[in-house]
Amino acid sequence: MITEKMRAAAKELLEKGEVETVIGWEKGTFWYNSTPAFISKPEQADRLVFDEFCANNLAKYLLDYRNADGKIAVFVKGCDARAVNRLLQDNQVKREKVYLIGIPCPGMKEAPKTGAAQDTASLPLLAKCQSCATPNPVIYDQLLGDPVPAREVPNRFAGVEALEAKGADEKYERWGKLFSECIRCYACRNVCPACNCRECAFDANGLNWLGKQNNLQENQMFNITRAMHVAGRCIECGECERVCPMGLPLMDINRKIIKDLNELFGSYDAGLNLEDRPPLGHYKLDDPEKFM
Amino acid sequence: MSLNTEALPKSQEVTASPEAAPQPWEPRIVGFACNWCTYAGADLAGLSRLQYPPSIRLIRVPCSGRVNPQFVIRAFQRGADGVLVAGCHPGDCHYSTGNYFTRRRFLLMQRLLEYMGMDPRRFQARWISGSEGPKFQQVVTQMTEDIKALGPNRKMRDVE
Amino acid sequence: MRRTGVFVCHCGSNIAGTVDVERVAKEAAKFPNVVFATDYKYMCSEPGQQVIKDAIKEHNLDRVVVASCSPRMHEPTFRRCLESAGMNPYLFEMANIREHCSWVHPDKEKGTIKSIDLVRKAAAKVVKDEPLQKSSIGITKRALVIGGGIAGIQVALDIADAGFPVTIVEKEPTIGGRMAQIDKTFPTLDCSACILTPKMVDASQHPNIEILSYSEVEKVEGYVGNFDITIRKKARSVDMSKCTGCGTCWEKCPTKVDSEFDMQLGKRKAIYTPFPQAVPNKPVIDRVNCTKFRTGKCGICQKVCPTGAVDYEQQDELITEKYGAIVVATGFNQFDHSVYGEYGYGKYPDVITGLHFERLINASGPTMGKIKRPSDHKIPETVVFIKCVGSRDEAKGKSYCSRTCCMYTAKHATLVHEKIPGSKSYIFYMDVRTPGKGYEEFYKRTAEEYEAQYIRGRVSKVYQKGDKLVVRGEDSLIGRPVEIEADMVVLANAMVAREDAGDLARTLGISYDKDNFFTEAHPKLRPVETHTAGVFLAGACQGPKDIPDSVAQAGAAASKAIGLLSKTQMESDAIVSNVDESRCSGCMICKGICPYKAIDAKLITERVGGKMAERQVAAVNKSLCQGCGACTVACRAGCLNLLGFTNEQILAEVEAVCL
Repeated sequence: MITEKMRAAAKELLEKGEVETVIGWEKGTFWYNSTPAFISKPEQADRLVFDEFCANNLAKYLLDYRNADGKIAVFVKGCDARAVNRLLQDNQVKREKVYLIGIPCPGMKEAPKTGAAQDTASLPLLAKCQSCATPNPVIYDQLLGDPVPAREVPNRFAGVEALEAKGADEKYERWGKLFSECIRCYACRNVCPACNCRECAFDANGLNWLGKQNNLQENQMFNITRAMHVAGRCIECGECERVCPMGLPLMDINRKIIKDLNELFGSYDAGLNLEDRPPLGHYKLDDPEKFM
Repeated sequence: MSLNTEALPKSQEVTASPEAAPQPWEPRIVGFACNWCTYAGADLAGLSRLQYPPSIRLIRVPCSGRVNPQFVIRAFQRGADGVLVAGCHPGDCHYSTGNYFTRRRFLLMQRLLEYMGMDPRRFQARWISGSEGPKFQQVVTQMTEDIKALGPNRKMRDVE
Repeated sequence: MRRTGVFVCHCGSNIAGTVDVERVAKEAAKFPNVVFATDYKYMCSEPGQQVIKDAIKEHNLDRVVVASCSPRMHEPTFRRCLESAGMNPYLFEMANIREHCSWVHPDKEKGTIKSIDLVRKAAAKVVKDEPLQKSSIGITKRALVIGGGIAGIQVALDIADAGFPVTIVEKEPTIGGRMAQIDKTFPTLDCSACILTPKMVDASQHPNIEILSYSEVEKVEGYVGNFDITIRKKARSVDMSKCTGCGTCWEKCPTKVDSEFDMQLGKRKAIYTPFPQAVPNKPVIDRVNCTKFRTGKCGICQKVCPTGAVDYEQQDELITEKYGAIVVATGFNQFDHSVYGEYGYGKYPDVITGLHFERLINASGPTMGKIKRPSDHKIPETVVFIKCVGSRDEAKGKSYCSRTCCMYTAKHATLVHEKIPGSKSYIFYMDVRTPGKGYEEFYKRTAEEYEAQYIRGRVSKVYQKGDKLVVRGEDSLIGRPVEIEADMVVLANAMVAREDAGDLARTLGISYDKDNFFTEAHPKLRPVETHTAGVFLAGACQGPKDIPDSVAQAGAAASKAIGLLSKTQMESDAIVSNVDESRCSGCMICKGICPYKAIDAKLITERVGGKMAERQVAAVNKSLCQGCGACTVACRAGCLNLLGFTNEQILAEVEAVCL
């Protein structure tokens, strides 16, 4: 069982003093939620669990430990590992200050419609896991369990392609309807490992990039700008969409950009390889030319 | 808003010169022009007295690479019917590489706006060199005609 | 509340003819923060500028807008005007109502409305203008020249003569470069060594020149005027301070190796100088081939050295020095024509390249200047030259014309005629290009007086038949195949960039083209500068060049370097990027986008939660920044801003023109 291995690994790291904190998951209020856990004593290791509800991407919590004296250990699924690469590439964490414990991920499940106990096997996979191509961590110091076979992913751009085919007004109406539902809670930004600025441009005083009104236009401005800021940097963990309280299909925007970047500038998947530079951070002389 | 735009008289109001007949609708195009090529190209169009519709308002930037996608959205938000980003031809950038980033950024942006339902003719990027006065004239004329055909832009625009 | 003054220019009738300038001024007076607006016939004239200066005083203006012509024309004029009125010159904007309005929009009503819009835009921006200052940096009055060929030597001599210390770093054991390998020079046929070696000696004896041979640039830090350069002095195994260059060691050395200088046609020893006139004339040990280093036995050179200079224990030495300017003159290589299997190079020893031929006709070369074919040392009677080997061939070689080959092939044919009575030369060519002074005449002489036969066409195959090489090709002018039985075939290989040019470019932070030649800052107007301030280019490292062009470019690069070094302080523009350190995340995406290497990471210390913590932020070097603003868009948080074109200013302009 991964949970036992997790606890043993965390305990050992804390006992030996190799890390000062371990970030993992523990059971939440209900049986169908597992929430992030932050433990710093070996005896707390038994709180850790790994089950079908550990959807939270833990990588971003590393930002809270930027100034920690010692190392921080964090459990990483495939998507969490790509998020760590995002933070490393953005110089937000130092590799020597983190200890990564990889967990091959079988895919996370949706919470049940009712709270009644039931067999988790019958629960559907989370949307973000259905199209996941990297269930195994791409970076780790230690791996728990055996790598899982990569999931058969049908065309992950199918949704994007369907939208692209629609007429301009239909598209505008659809997005307009969705964006007018946005309450600008910024949960999508707060959870996003690519949104790791010390202070977001939208929070800054005096920048005037975004009005305070919650209306369609400002919401459009926010969502398009957010998409452009993570363009070429999104690691497709799908957390933005998962946490959106209004259920906006934010990955339809992120995936559109990923699809275009791949078509225009060559295949690139953010967070897989530290050496690859984000596509908007460099250029090629023979990039497609449409502006002549 | 830190800028006191509310206090500014709207151009429609100043339009009402006493003797002038009411003007038909003219598209409003916001153009971002790099100082070294496109702005110079527009200057050359002027020197050569090449006429084009008075629809465009050029904002001078050092390089097309200075144009933040923010500026484009803001222009649409505030009522632009079209936005043009123009700079040196690839390989001719005064700063050697700026327009290569422009090219990547706005290829992507154009597709994203189209995906959001914006007609791609409303947002264009073009390479216009300092010697291409006629090209500047032609681009502005064409874009104005395209947008006239599309009518005033209502998408992404602030409610009035 | 700002106090802006707006000045609308008539430009005679240029503006006033199609724009109602009075109405523009009247409308402008209603804009927020505008306290004064007027119009005048010629704003740029003396009296026009006086109008501005008077208004500044009278109305206590702190911002100025002039609506007139293009800022590309008169922005400097009006900035000076503000300065002389005691204002910061950057609190100023122009509205271009001439080139962008009155000259292109004949409809007065529409032109006037657009003019008002353009003035509104300028007035909205000027409110957000901040006073800016130019900055200045000190300069280390010393130059580094990378590469000691003719271009590098010329640069060093010119800079040294102007009174500045120069260091030449040369990776070979001697300076001299390619020119030292060449026998005669076109179109005068004077001896290459006779004109080069005096310059080498001049360089070595010049009080301002230091030569670091057998050395390479390892690392470059810093920026214009203040480069910190780490140089690797490779272990020579000979103590330069003790060696007198007497030559006993290389006379006695038992190991013979193919000589690189003689293009493998002759031999050298394992302890050697590449050629007799080497500067410095002190040997190095080729550790790969030396018996002592290979087997531990031998040590003859150490035994015979009268001064005890041979030191087998010597290590590479790294030195770091400060320089104000760098000139890159690393030269070229020959195209590797092994891709042209049909020419038989490597298979037939008598198929050689132009540089081999230079060594064969050189009086101090392996054959003492007798043209002998490498295979059997027979004197060839028929020589075939093939031009454009690797040049003007996009499929297999380089797309560019290598510029020198037409001339050196003509020279070779002339020399064959002079040195071998009764000989015959054939030259396969695509075109003959002779754009230098005296070049066409030289080529004519080769073809007409020296009876070299020019055949327009490509060679399809070279093959051996007995002791002859049969060259099969086509004469495209008469449309017939030709076959020539030759004794020797000489290929005119293209000049290509050095294979390590890309590495050096990355070390220096300069750019290079698809063929690895270093890129000049502007192909026409800044041909010897690079985009990295303080780094200049000379010679064939920038593109194929012959000797006169290399020397001319060297002189130009030297004068640019001298111009830089003769300043005490360098002033840089005020329109530069600025980092808000408190908000910078230190992600450094900006660094990779800056074309001038002006952005670097720096560590700042701040108090976090009661203790001091270090944090990385971006830092802009204001002397390197050229103000393009590319970094500002890459910065998601918007904490990089371009002074004079800030996000806030541009957004204000957008808002103003969209009203």
